[in-house]
Amino acid sequence: MAGIGREEALAFRDQLRRLLAARAGEAELRRVMETPAGYDPTLWRQLAELGLVGLVVEAAHGGTGAGPVALELAMEEVGAALLPGPLLGSGVLAAGLVAALGDEATAARLLPGIADGSRIAAAAITGPAGSWTEAGVAVEAVPDGGGWTLSGTASFVLHGQNADLLLVAARTAEGIAVFEADPRAAGLVVAALPCFDHSLRIAEIRFTGAPARRLGGRPGWAAVEAALDLAQVAMAGEQAGAGRRVLEMTVEYAKTRIQFGRPIGSFQAIKHMAADLLLEAESAISAARHAAEALEGRAVGAGAAVHLAGFACAEAFATIAATAIQMHGGIAFTWDHPAHLYLRRARADVQLLGAPAWHRERYLQALGA
Amino acid sequence: MTDALRDEVRAWLAAHWTGPAADEAAARAWLAKVVEARWAVPRWPVEWGGRALPDAEARIIEAEFAALGAPGTGQDRTNLYANTLLAFGTQALKERLLLRMLRGEVPMCLLYSEPNAGSDLAGLRCRAERRDGQWVVNGQKVWTSYAAVAEYGMLVARTDWDAPKHRGISFFFCPMRQPGVEVRPLRQITGESRFNEVFLTDALIPEENLLGQPGQGWAVLQTALAYERSVMGEAARGPRSGVAEGTGEPPLIALAREAGRLGDPVLRQDLARVLAYRALNALNTARAKADLAQGTSSPLMSLGKLAMSRILHEEARLRTAILGPESLFEGPEHPRAEDANFLTLNAYFTSIGGGTDQIQRNIIGERVLGLPREPEVDRDLPFRQVRSQ
Repeated sequence: MAGIGREEALAFRDQLRRLLAARAGEAELRRVMETPAGYDPTLWRQLAELGLVGLVVEAAHGGTGAGPVALELAMEEVGAALLPGPLLGSGVLAAGLVAALGDEATAARLLPGIADGSRIAAAAITGPAGSWTEAGVAVEAVPDGGGWTLSGTASFVLHGQNADLLLVAARTAEGIAVFEADPRAAGLVVAALPCFDHSLRIAEIRFTGAPARRLGGRPGWAAVEAALDLAQVAMAGEQAGAGRRVLEMTVEYAKTRIQFGRPIGSFQAIKHMAADLLLEAESAISAARHAAEALEGRAVGAGAAVHLAGFACAEAFATIAATAIQMHGGIAFTWDHPAHLYLRRARADVQLLGAPAWHRERYLQALGA
Repeated sequence: MTDALRDEVRAWLAAHWTGPAADEAAARAWLAKVVEARWAVPRWPVEWGGRALPDAEARIIEAEFAALGAPGTGQDRTNLYANTLLAFGTQALKERLLLRMLRGEVPMCLLYSEPNAGSDLAGLRCRAERRDGQWVVNGQKVWTSYAAVAEYGMLVARTDWDAPKHRGISFFFCPMRQPGVEVRPLRQITGESRFNEVFLTDALIPEENLLGQPGQGWAVLQTALAYERSVMGEAARGPRSGVAEGTGEPPLIALAREAGRLGDPVLRQDLARVLAYRALNALNTARAKADLAQGTSSPLMSLGKLAMSRILHEEARLRTAILGPESLFEGPEHPRAEDANFLTLNAYFTSIGGGTDQIQRNIIGERVLGLPREPEVDRDLPFRQVRSQ
């Protein structure tokens, strides 16, 4: 990923911000999150035309050709709007996985459709235990004539129920490899999982001898890890942007809500909570941007930066979203107030690509401890 | 223009810089040369030893000095005493002191806090009265570093007891070497004595040592504090013994390794969490500097001190947890315990000194987030009527 310049990335971010402001407000989010698909196909096409869906896909394969830095900046906006849809699962994780395999023919065949938004790809990596390690893979692949068949279960598959294309990490005699499967094929069942965050879609996929095509290139697990790093950085950006937005909303409310004859934000009890949350919000932004820069530069120590963002951004967003409800008081206990939508996303994100404790352990290992 | 300036500084440094000063006399001699050549305060007016240069050009001079490790320039940014004097001092006082200050010949101290005016500094009760063409001062100051060696103290004292608290304060350069000034070392919780109490009993201050007008002292103080904050940076102190430093890995990891605790999964979680605080603060600081370089002010600057409080308290807590019962010990036979215990106590230096964490949160809430101020019951009262102890 070559990356685009800082000016270009900022200009893209601003364009995206305008589109989201016009098309992805709270009312729209509430409408879309109760539909089965969980996203708006018209907006999805617009986002693809803007270049968001194929942001990290190389231009040669129909993408924007941006790198992690531009992706992270864009995701801050996506997070602030709680944009629902398959961006993270298809445009980042699945596209990143295909790119990470490094096989030109596969990339040329699969990436253009993902980048232009016409095909939604889902990466099926971890099993029902939800552990994002090699040992967590719970699908087996066995050779079958000229092809392969898959058996086992993949879970927490982002937008698996909307996918046109599955990329499956499966165990072979030589280790983990990545396979391409058709979600409509016989021998597999895609089941939507009920998700606490109504704006998110996750699925479980049960394979019982489903036909699959083995994808060549880089060793499977190394490619999966590279794609997970990219997705982690994107999610860190989403968390940082969402955390900042929910803090802004809360500070605005504290300025206007009057109790005891004065704005509640004039009380130190509230003011001090806000100051502490600002430190969390700004630290999350620093961590997410730093991880993106490390990944873009393929810097030594990028692993530490990614895992630092992995737990720091997740916990910052969760803390901000949770505290925001307390600071609002009763109004935020209602369904109609948006605060719980942020808390739901925050709590989902905390678990989605590895829990904070796991990232902390990996962070420590990356520091040599 | 900038190239010519760069060449000029380089040529001057090449002709005069001979390396770090061996002793204090040599350091003073170097500063005198820097002042004479007008490098000390390039942003200042020519009249006071400056060159009236814009910031960008002054930075060139600073960069050239920094490249050689040569001190003395940039005092128009960093010398809080000289900058305060330049901005508010009388002609006579400036003529008497400014150049000497730039040459490092005037040891200074700060006479701000009082036993009953800490977070609420504007509630100070040290009294200055004009008598026979001079000021007579009575009161007590506290937390004063270098009081015993200082020639002058920057003093805030109340001169009008009928004005509201912020409007009855005046700002002085108080001569320290006189019978009316008594300095007593203050022993801190760490056992060290880095601060003093200063007792002022009919201490005398010449008329010309008043900065600004009588009653304008609060505004002068804000300027002085702004200079102080801008140079405070991250001057947090490390462990006293230096144990576990210099191995290339973070000291907390080294300590856990040495103590045989690095395999403890509960401790590892704690370790990662605490290491992250320092890592995140470094990232925030780097981002703040980048923002400043682009001319955008950054909310991050005001967060650094609050973040550092948490870092220091949490690191000290974790050090103690790693050591367990060993942290009961004291003395030179137990340097790891000494470190943990010293750092535990000294963390309060940062979470209380220079504005408590609670005051810092008010500042962040009000100046960064724009939240309304807490109503102050004494703000507009004549100070005489303000409740004291």
